[in-house]
Amino acid sequence: MRSVAFSEMWSHKRRLLGSMIAVVLGVAFLSGTLLLGDTLKANFDKLFTTANGSTDVILRGSTQIGSGNNQARSGVDASLATLARQTPGVADAQPYVQGDAQLVGGNGKRVGGSGPPTTAANWVSVPSLNPYRIVDGHAPRADDEVVINRGAAKAGKLHLGDTTTLLTPAPVRVHIVGIATFGTADGLGTGTFTAMTLPAAQRYLTNNPAKVSQILIKTAPGVERGTVIAALQPRLPAGVQAITGQDLANENIDNIDKGFLGFLRNGLTGFAVVALLVAVFSIYNTFSILSAQRTRASALLRALGATRRQVVGVGLAEALAVGVLGAAAGWGAGIGIATGLKGIFHAFGFPLPTGGLEFKLGSGLLAIFAGIAATLAAGVVPAIRSSRVAPVAALRDQAAERRTVSARRGVAGAVLTAGGVAALVVAGLGQGPMAVAGIGALLSLVGMVVLGPVAARPVTSVLGAPIARLRGVTGLLARENSLRNPRRTAATASALLIGVAVVAMFTVVAASLKKSASQGIDRALTADVIVDTPGYGGAVSAQSGKLDPAMQQRLSTVDGVAVATALSGGEALIGGKSHNITAADPSRVGQVIDLGVTSGSIASMTPTSLAVSKDAAKSNHWHVGSTAPITYPDGSTGAVTVAAIYSHPDITGDYVLNLTGWTSHTEQAVISKIMVNLRPGVDVAAAESAIKAAMAQYGQPRVQDKAEYRSSATKGVNTILGLVYVMLALAIIIALMGISNTLSLSIHERTRELGLLRAVGQTRAQTRAMVRWESVLVAVFGTIGGVGIGTLLGWSIVKAASSTTLSAFAAPPLQLVVFVVVGAVAGTLAGIRPARRAARLNVLAAIGTE
Amino acid sequence: MTTTLTRAAARALHATKSYGEGETAVVALDDVTVELESARFTAIMGPSGSGKSTLLHCLAGLDTLTSGHIFLGATDLGELTDRQLTLLRRTQVGFVFQSFNLVPTLTALENIRLPLTLAGTKPDADWLEAVVETVGLTDRLRHRPSELSGGQQQRVAVARALASKPAIIFADEPTGNLDSRSSADVLGFLQRARLELDQTIVMVTHDPVAASYADRAIFLADGHIVDAVEEPTPELVLDHMKRLGA
Repeated sequence: MRSVAFSEMWSHKRRLLGSMIAVVLGVAFLSGTLLLGDTLKANFDKLFTTANGSTDVILRGSTQIGSGNNQARSGVDASLATLARQTPGVADAQPYVQGDAQLVGGNGKRVGGSGPPTTAANWVSVPSLNPYRIVDGHAPRADDEVVINRGAAKAGKLHLGDTTTLLTPAPVRVHIVGIATFGTADGLGTGTFTAMTLPAAQRYLTNNPAKVSQILIKTAPGVERGTVIAALQPRLPAGVQAITGQDLANENIDNIDKGFLGFLRNGLTGFAVVALLVAVFSIYNTFSILSAQRTRASALLRALGATRRQVVGVGLAEALAVGVLGAAAGWGAGIGIATGLKGIFHAFGFPLPTGGLEFKLGSGLLAIFAGIAATLAAGVVPAIRSSRVAPVAALRDQAAERRTVSARRGVAGAVLTAGGVAALVVAGLGQGPMAVAGIGALLSLVGMVVLGPVAARPVTSVLGAPIARLRGVTGLLARENSLRNPRRTAATASALLIGVAVVAMFTVVAASLKKSASQGIDRALTADVIVDTPGYGGAVSAQSGKLDPAMQQRLSTVDGVAVATALSGGEALIGGKSHNITAADPSRVGQVIDLGVTSGSIASMTPTSLAVSKDAAKSNHWHVGSTAPITYPDGSTGAVTVAAIYSHPDITGDYVLNLTGWTSHTEQAVISKIMVNLRPGVDVAAAESAIKAAMAQYGQPRVQDKAEYRSSATKGVNTILGLVYVMLALAIIIALMGISNTLSLSIHERTRELGLLRAVGQTRAQTRAMVRWESVLVAVFGTIGGVGIGTLLGWSIVKAASSTTLSAFAAPPLQLVVFVVVGAVAGTLAGIRPARRAARLNVLAAIGTE
Repeated sequence: MTTTLTRAAARALHATKSYGEGETAVVALDDVTVELESARFTAIMGPSGSGKSTLLHCLAGLDTLTSGHIFLGATDLGELTDRQLTLLRRTQVGFVFQSFNLVPTLTALENIRLPLTLAGTKPDADWLEAVVETVGLTDRLRHRPSELSGGQQQRVAVARALASKPAIIFADEPTGNLDSRSSADVLGFLQRARLELDQTIVMVTHDPVAASYADRAIFLADGHIVDAVEEPTPELVLDHMKRLGA
């Protein structure tokens, strides 16, 4: 039996190759994403271990505000360094002041800053307490001397001996006296690092010179870190904790693993699963056709005494071989995918740490196992079906694949689809919960796949009507061919349907996000000009910001400016929970932002007042006059009173504090944005250039009018959507290859018919056109279904979410139509190979084929 | 000579066709020269392997010669490209094969019109009506081939061959898969096409009864033309066949 299975496979090797490519691509994507995840994890592990691992013990504030990568901690008293030095077992203790400062590069622009950190700190001269090594020049000796990391020097075209500006964020003139490496690397990822003397750091990087960020401790030789921590613990004041550098590194590793990396990994794996799912459909289809094509061979085996189990075995052996070979090749191709993904992320403005690929046995096995399992799952039904062939079928002329569609399937598909759509509509209309939308999505997708064969006949018949009318008999034949086996047409189109549905869903959600953001900005933003710095990928900057508060004064004096008011922000613990807050000047914020106050008043806010959105007020059960405990970034605590409740949280978020109160409790004096209102009649473009000129000395911040601000607010969405499209492209390609493969197999079946057509005068060009049009029909069938279900999914998600960021629904009609057109074009491409094959047939040989 | 030239619908001149090379070469046609006259029904007969199907395929432009010439009317097929050959088949030649004559996805009427629609020409309505009437399947024209009997399918195939008013119809064992009643049906139809529509027909067969419907039968053996009979009857054909076999 084994030899039978083998010779069967060998005789079908070309056809099997087509389905194997689907396995290869699916597994390649999965293993590539897993490999990328492992590699990034290893890189971050290394980075954080280098950063803190060699520091024996660290003293830091125990109050944590925010979580993950956004967390902030209050500082500790500088005098603790002395206390630490006097503790037994401590060899050395150094104060460490860390803050945020951006270098201005050789071209006058800020170096980095759109994502990776721009850190500044005092230079610690004890090597085991400092991961940076000076490779050129010397440590800072004077307060205007700095050491910068080699990556920053390269990116900013800065050299040893240069004088440049450091935005702390107040501009400071500095001399570059040293270039340092982070361990042996150019830097901590693509982040920049600037080191100065301790007095300079205390002057520029913190509001409170008596406080430092951390105390770095080196233990005496032979003394256990635990012993030192135990000795330190009782001497430390409240609010200060001692941990080992290794623990801090692990904490950071854990944070990035749960945060950024986890997000990236889940997203990528999600797309890999979509690709694999699409591959399963393609493989299933190929096996179904192959098992139908060898009906007579299976029947002959049965007639000769093979058991049904043995016939199933032949089919499964084939699936196993395709799975094993495809998965192994896919794992290899995954290395290329991982490298490619890194490049893609870089191209989209999300640089990932560089470093060699990290191969993990577990991930490799997981990808290969998933590929084999998917192939076997796809092969099991066709294998069982071919075993059900009656032995007498061997004697019949042609026992073809079952082409009829059972009524049971129609009912089941209709019920599933209707149930799914109903759940989606309920979730959409009832605005939630998201779980209902999820169940609806799953049900309707499964329902569409089950219903496919039932729908294939009427839908392709209608879609094909114009082709039949316009392309004459070639079009008519193409339409009839796509109708002759609705199961096959539907299975082929299903793969594309799933891929396109996901694409359409993301498109709709993205368009809705953009529309929500635009509408939000339109109703809330009344400023004429906005000054800020670009955030991740060029989007609107984070609330914490990187601007010098002095810029507000300077802006007020620019010609044509009526009002210039600063916004700042960050994280604070309010009512025991971390929240993103915006800090604003109550007397002026109303002139640049329409908060839509429903009760209380912004102007009446004192330094200990809070304004909250309706949603936040509702979830906290607050009203005007309510008070809540607050912990500020500097560790100080107090209480805030709700002074106003507003309905337009689009620019500020859900919590607004008084800028005066906020600034007195932050470590570093920074603002995030300055909103400017111009005097009536002032030309915006002229004012913008005047503002740009005035701001040049502050590292050329971004100056935008309202329309530009709106487009940069939606830019992040476009970037992510672009990435999503690239990720989904592979699934679409797999689906298109499935169409191509199925058509090739169909052509093989129709050899005699094609010979006849050619004999009675069909030209090769007409033969090609006929096959291509069939391909187009199948592709458009899948695309339309996908666009339809995807749009509905998107609508349901948007409505169910119904948050500020997703308040409006938008289905971009042009884009969705473009998908269908692209689907048709892709169908033409997928049809090229089978069309060529059909046209190449030798007429006589085709007629002679039995 | 000039008169026969104009009367010939198709001619083979020193037609040789061999398959394979060297010692394993098989000569299917060995220097065959024959003329097939216009408005006549010619049967090509011969035992299996005599080269009769090869001759038909070469005459119809489906296969190419190793050496020699085939003329359809005044056109030398050897000088045509694949595309020109296809267009020639479409307009000048009608086909009836032994089986699988019809495209399963098209109705009987669509199959009949197929060569015309492939060419993008409007069918001559009167002619088409005449043809369809002669087929005698007016009530089954909307049916798919799978809903027709074998004999009906072959009659549709003949109608298809007639529809484009070809210069010549080639039929390759058109009754090979049919019972005697259906055979008589199809052959009678071919004969009427010759008598009523002046259609030139060339048919390959090994059935003496089928050959008796023709005006003339020529006999092939081992790639040579060995005999010819005018106004064949089944007995006469059988007689010649026996002599060939002897």
